[in-house]
Amino acid sequence: MNKLLASFLAVFLLALPLAAQAGNVTIKGSDTMVILGQRWAEEYMKKNASTKIQVTGGGSGTGLAALINGTTDIAMSSRPIKDAETEKLRGRFNTTGAEISVAKDGVTFYVHEKNPLSSLTLEQLKGIYLGDITNWKEVGGPDAPIVVYSRENSSGTYVFVKDNLLGGEDYTPNAQTLPGTAAVVNAVSKEKNGIGYGGAAYAKGIKELKIKAGSEEVTPSAENIKSGKYPLSRDLYFYLRGKPTGEVKAFIDFALSPEGQQIVNKVGYFPVK
Amino acid sequence: MTKNLLVALLTLASGAARAQAAEPQPAATPPAETSPAQPSEAPPAPTEAAPTETAATPSIEERLTTDEGKVAALEEQNIETKSDLSLLKKLKISGYVQSRYQYQQPDEDEANPGVHLNDGFSRFTVRRGRIKTTYNGDMGLLMLQVDIIPTAVALRDAEATLYIPGTKQNLSVTLGQMKLPFGYEAPQSSSDREFPERTRVVGAYLPGERDRGLRFNGKFGVMRVAAGFFDGNGISNSNFFGVDNDKEKDFVGRLGFDLKWISGGVSGWKGTTLGKRTTGPNPDAFRTAYDRDRVGADLQVYLDLLPLGGTALKGEFIGGTAYQRNNVEQLGIAGHGYYALLVQNIGIHDILALRYEYFDGQNGLDAIESGSRLGTNNAIGTLGIAAIHNFGETIELTAAYELSMTETVNGGTAKDPSDNLFTLQLQARY
Repeated sequence: MNKLLASFLAVFLLALPLAAQAGNVTIKGSDTMVILGQRWAEEYMKKNASTKIQVTGGGSGTGLAALINGTTDIAMSSRPIKDAETEKLRGRFNTTGAEISVAKDGVTFYVHEKNPLSSLTLEQLKGIYLGDITNWKEVGGPDAPIVVYSRENSSGTYVFVKDNLLGGEDYTPNAQTLPGTAAVVNAVSKEKNGIGYGGAAYAKGIKELKIKAGSEEVTPSAENIKSGKYPLSRDLYFYLRGKPTGEVKAFIDFALSPEGQQIVNKVGYFPVK
Repeated sequence: MTKNLLVALLTLASGAARAQAAEPQPAATPPAETSPAQPSEAPPAPTEAAPTETAATPSIEERLTTDEGKVAALEEQNIETKSDLSLLKKLKISGYVQSRYQYQQPDEDEANPGVHLNDGFSRFTVRRGRIKTTYNGDMGLLMLQVDIIPTAVALRDAEATLYIPGTKQNLSVTLGQMKLPFGYEAPQSSSDREFPERTRVVGAYLPGERDRGLRFNGKFGVMRVAAGFFDGNGISNSNFFGVDNDKEKDFVGRLGFDLKWISGGVSGWKGTTLGKRTTGPNPDAFRTAYDRDRVGADLQVYLDLLPLGGTALKGEFIGGTAYQRNNVEQLGIAGHGYYALLVQNIGIHDILALRYEYFDGQNGLDAIESGSRLGTNNAIGTLGIAAIHNFGETIELTAAYELSMTETVNGGTAKDPSDNLFTLQLQARY
């Protein structure tokens, strides 16, 4: 029986594939980062024709779940990984994963361009998104009900706003969830009483609100976001199961290179280097 | 029956006939109105009715109002649907099945040919069949887990958790039947473990890994606290299954830290148990209170050294009194044990694990033998190797071989029994 067992184990071990397929990289996660990921992939594939990079969205939570399940090489996330996700990664892959900050962003609140308000305090935004403030006149605007737009709970931006603005409390049930930041921008541009949020990259054709802190109004500008003065600034991340190697490393090196960081600027985010 | 059917059909038919007879009357009126004008050129009634309908077509404003109403109704429905969906999202049903083939060598008694010290086995089993329901709300959590296997259906967890308000779910209190907050391996899910079974030392001190009680869980930065009061007998003590044998509660707790790449903690258990020791040099005349104390320490290190995948080193030590053997508490007897585990991931799908574990049920006393048999409390060291392959997200195949080495008596006749164990396990989970 010992020989039988030894033979079985030998066959079992020999059957283990020792390396992942080379030349294919899958990237999944944050909708905020999809455009950025796609632009990086396009440029990288122009220079490396033999490499195929597939970029899909679904939200930061979806990307990190795919990383834990082993169905993506890189997870894009617009929020830091949660403790529970790190525990799952350790349980399945015996690794804490690798976190790489690839760009900076400021979560921006948008209103319709005809909305007379140009800024709100964090407390006012919190009141609106918790459902305590329901009319624009309560924050110095016109007498009209506020139409609140939000993201789905798989979105990193949703989690970022929940943790950093709402203090972990749940959004008002009246908030209408939309599948992507572009959809939020589109909805706000058509609804004069609307308010929504998303990455700075998408803030085109609508009015970006400044954050009022005392007498100062802080714009979500490159300087304020990079310096951290804008209170809702954040990093955008790549998460991996381990230290990057092979094609994945080459792609990340490209994203962090001067050329890759220029793409960050072009897309509308802010470089980390 | 047939008669009734006929009566019903006739009733329906006559009703329909009456309805048809009644309908033409209003339709007959328009011709009467049109006939006096130009009978020969008069357009048929339906054509005349058409301009009337066109005139009644709602204006754009009316249609907008109607559409806005419909949209508002849809939005209301959407909010209701979202509310229902958010409840469903909080409900999670999961489970796993561990099916096995196992082979253990038979051990022949050399002093008595033909007699086996250990019969060994070759068997198929369903080791675990778990169904777990979790409802995780804003204020608390409900968890119910049952184990369904061919020989029994057993409750594993039934716990209600309250998140302490204002703590972002970092602090909570749990009441019910739950995992004991002691060490690393006992609270770890069996579906996540590399080896099919927990180590002997954990099996001795935390059999079943669960008890009924009250547990506090706290997360303070990198520190982790889990502690509570429990009945103390666990869910495997054959003499006191599901009940407390004394009015005293056992305190069980772990103080740990988690820096992601390294984590660990120290655990303690202070309690008593009542029992009557009938064997040994000092049997009891009456039931006596015995200490049920234990201490533990555990450490896990996660390294990213090799390009193959993650590497983990894990170890744990437990020592104390009143451990269980074959679901019977060893009153007043002290023991100790430990394990060291090395795990190496190979790519995304494969894992290799090597484990050495040791348990001494006599706390350093010399090994004993009687005839050709070794004492049941002799220390045992076990070296195991496991190879795991993941087929996608839900199916995992494990092949494990464990070489048990029982401590023998110096100059004695009894040999280490041939009780090595091979396990092939297929696990499916969702």
